[in-house]
Amino acid sequence: MSTDAKAPPLAPGRGGQSSEPGPAIRRRKASKAPYYLILPAIIILLVALGYPVGWQIITSFQKFGLMQQFGGSPEFVGFENYIALLGTSELWVVLGRSLLFCLLSAFLTVAIGGLLALLMQRVGTAARLMLQVSMLLAWAMPVVAAMTVWVWLIDWRRGVLNWLLVQFGIDAEGHNWLADPVTFFLIAVVIVVWMSVPFVALSLYAGLTQISGEVLEAAGMDGATGWQRTRYIILPLIAPVLSIVLLLQLIWDLRVFTQIKLLQDAGGVANETNMLGTFIYQLGVGSGDFGMASAVSILMLILTIGISWYYVRSLMKEEN
Amino acid sequence: MRRKSIITALFTALAVAIAILWAFPVYWMFNSSMLPNVVLQSTTPTFLPFGGSLENFTAALADGKFLGALTISLTVTLSTVAAVLIIAFLGALAVSRFKFKGRKSFILALLLIQMLPAEGMFIAQYKMMSSVGMLNNIVGLTILYTAAVVPFTIWMLRGFVAGVPAELEEAAMVDGLSRTKAFLKITFPLLAPGLVASGVYAFLQAWNEFTVALVVMTEDQSRTLPLWLRGFVQASATRETDWGMVMAASMLVAVPVIIFFLIVQGKMSSGLVSGAVKG
Amino acid sequence: MKKYLGIAAITAAALTLSACGSGTSAESGSNPSDNADRSITLWLAGGDTSDELRGYLKDTFKAKTGATLKIEEQGWGDLVTKMTTALPDANNTPDVVEMGNTQSPTFTNVGAFADLSDMYDELGGDKLLPSFVEAGSVDGKKFALPYYFGSRYMFTRKDIWTEAGVATPTTLDEFNAGVKSIADKNPREIKNFSGFFLGGQDWRNGVSWIFANGGDLAKKENGKWVSTLADAKTLKGLEQLQDLYKNASKAPSDAKDATPWLYINDADEILGDDGKPTGKTSLAAATIMAPGWAHWSIGDLKKDDATGKDVRTWNEDTFGTLVLPGNDGKPAPVLAGGSNIGISAKSKNQDLAKDLMRIIFSEEYQNMLGGAGLGPANSDYVNSLGDDQFAKAAIASASNSKLTPAAPGWASVETSLVLEEFFGKLRDATDLAALAKQYDEKITPQLNLK
Repeated sequence: MSTDAKAPPLAPGRGGQSSEPGPAIRRRKASKAPYYLILPAIIILLVALGYPVGWQIITSFQKFGLMQQFGGSPEFVGFENYIALLGTSELWVVLGRSLLFCLLSAFLTVAIGGLLALLMQRVGTAARLMLQVSMLLAWAMPVVAAMTVWVWLIDWRRGVLNWLLVQFGIDAEGHNWLADPVTFFLIAVVIVVWMSVPFVALSLYAGLTQISGEVLEAAGMDGATGWQRTRYIILPLIAPVLSIVLLLQLIWDLRVFTQIKLLQDAGGVANETNMLGTFIYQLGVGSGDFGMASAVSILMLILTIGISWYYVRSLMKEEN
Repeated sequence: MRRKSIITALFTALAVAIAILWAFPVYWMFNSSMLPNVVLQSTTPTFLPFGGSLENFTAALADGKFLGALTISLTVTLSTVAAVLIIAFLGALAVSRFKFKGRKSFILALLLIQMLPAEGMFIAQYKMMSSVGMLNNIVGLTILYTAAVVPFTIWMLRGFVAGVPAELEEAAMVDGLSRTKAFLKITFPLLAPGLVASGVYAFLQAWNEFTVALVVMTEDQSRTLPLWLRGFVQASATRETDWGMVMAASMLVAVPVIIFFLIVQGKMSSGLVSGAVKG
Repeated sequence: MKKYLGIAAITAAALTLSACGSGTSAESGSNPSDNADRSITLWLAGGDTSDELRGYLKDTFKAKTGATLKIEEQGWGDLVTKMTTALPDANNTPDVVEMGNTQSPTFTNVGAFADLSDMYDELGGDKLLPSFVEAGSVDGKKFALPYYFGSRYMFTRKDIWTEAGVATPTTLDEFNAGVKSIADKNPREIKNFSGFFLGGQDWRNGVSWIFANGGDLAKKENGKWVSTLADAKTLKGLEQLQDLYKNASKAPSDAKDATPWLYINDADEILGDDGKPTGKTSLAAATIMAPGWAHWSIGDLKKDDATGKDVRTWNEDTFGTLVLPGNDGKPAPVLAGGSNIGISAKSKNQDLAKDLMRIIFSEEYQNMLGGAGLGPANSDYVNSLGDDQFAKAAIASASNSKLTPAAPGWASVETSLVLEEFFGKLRDATDLAALAKQYDEKITPQLNLK
């Protein structure tokens, strides 16, 4: 690594997202090489996902319940499942809740992650290492284990949270955070943000470290304040990393499942706290209505694409 | 100058406070794992595990299933990491270094795959694995995990690959290095942080996953660590959950990841640090 | 018997003898060595079947059939998922499966289990818990049979009942008034103290008030199941429940029935090094309702000499048991808890699976279940539970226990948690009848399989 220390510093902005055709892309005539290179990826995706996705699409047009799962022949019902779904308000409520959750969590995650990355850059090695280690610890925590601890931290009787609030003079004794769908929602946001921030903070920090110190120093000598440097130099340079990280957070938070499921198991009213993942799970494995569950999955996919279309398209444009 | 040092001190204090806040749940797990169940049930929390013991750990290990689950989890996770790195690296190379027909569709497909809700696929995944006789099979689970992780890692890696200017390689080739050598000597080291980051991501995903494993790893002896852990949480309908033991078991599942991270972290940050000092 | 021989003849000659039922190994399987390389799998739900019982099953099975019994434990929360995927799969299905009694109607209705009607009498017949048998039956055919039962009764803090000056109730009305009075008097002045701790979402305990007033959750009408929450009798029970939720219980409206015993235990024995208590008492209720096995978790903390661990030890002076009385002189009907067990219809080892069923329903194993505190399926062996107050309370409350409706879609009602939701709303409902009607409309479509 140190051998190329003389190499010119890299601006991440020159990554695949630069708006002009990247110099990195080689123009080679009708080479077969790229196809060989993506072949393994395509094969593994087809092998692992081809059948399940196909099954879901077909099942979404069928009346497919436990009877069919146990050998009954499924009846083709066309768009009946979809029509039934779109006719209920439940789907829209769940969708709205999921979107709100996803936007709130993703933006909070990226904002906090970004600030922490900047902070890591500002502080000395010891403090930075402390932050990094605590981020790594939170990141490394197995989800099932982390959820168990969290459920415990917010327990209405034995939870540290209520105990602390009481110490600060707030009458939170015996308050149950999961009973009310609104506080359930907030707790879920806090937990998911806690789990996701480390990835964002560490990625953005990695991005920041690639920004040339020379540039910043020069800017400093020219009299740019810290904020100006952040706004006019750092932000544009890590913007591509930021936008990718944000997109990923949006996608992941929309798909959130385990955390919500385990929180629902701990308390709360499942039908008033469902998000897309738990909704599909409850319909499918829970109630044995696989036709309907598949229809929700497909609908979700279409809706997600629809919602993110603008964003995806602008990303795709940059690919040219 | 003084103002600057005050600001630095403030930032340092803030960093330390946040570090403590973020690590608190993890600390709480450790703390609880050392305390007897009775103490844990008190309405007043016990913040330090004084008088604690390793009893919960002995209890969690008593059934002897931990080692088996650890072996399976390690095998599946490491195979997934290896497969993901190879496949994703090749894919990333293709999309960031070549212009080819279908490139955009490929990238788009990778993005869309990530939007597929996984909760509706369990039944079909089971059917598929069962029909090819790959239930309870480490290779089978590895394939499912690899496919789940590859799309994102290609996305992640292509930024790193693109970040290494092809001119560098070309310059090296002008200096007389062969294309392969130029790649190995120049490009590859620059990619190391990216590969490490992707590897970490793949590791975490495979290590933590439990719903797919629950469905396709049906036998007792083929359970992964998260399933082993879940077994403690919902062990009994008739007796109370032993939370101290659950926390101890959680620690046992988390420790290998932490060790892995500490090993890799050194590499990752040395890579990053040298990147930072460059300027 | 005749019918069974018919089936046996088709499958394998070796089984004809095993049809003669339990007994010595000579009777089951002509030659155990024929089965030496065969094995069957038994799924047990949760860790409630102790290692000792598991060992007995494995050893006895080996001795009687020569084949190997593999036992795999499935978590309660994941059982439905695993049964849904594995049972239809002939190559990977477990041969014998334990499931929650409320889960069995759904799976028996879709044909997941083999018909056991022809060996029903051999395994105990009418002696088997009727409500559980019914939950595993479709059109009179028996598919899943009871494995063990537990019944719910009350655990009380005798000391606090006395301090509040409330006498042991003999009718449901007295009970309701008594626990309200305790909550009101709150003799120890503990914040948020419940006379009777009943979790808002704890319908499995709360449903007793519906049953006790002659109501039910659902009934079969013209071949279709309908939810009956808004029926007059059910509503009467719901009104009493609302009163309890408002005036006797301080439990949160989303509490489930997971670990109610935490609230009647004292935890003030936690002493610091200086001998001063470092933990506040965690006492929060004078009464809880729980399955009988909860008594293992109730009591004072005592050091167990063998392990050195602190364990709960029942203290007769502080704690008491109480069978919830009805208003008709009998115990109020409670929801029975427990499991059913059946043979997967897709199992390729029907003969061996049946041999295992014979072992499970044998006198010896039934008595072992009772000895381990689990109510044996066969009423002849209930005495094995012992004659202490827990056994007596369990038997008394079981005598009038009920099960959830045997509707084919019942498991879906449970997994969708709609009853939890409904019960959680009782306390703050202004119009119970309208709320009940609203939930009837939600539940009825779920009861009948699609």
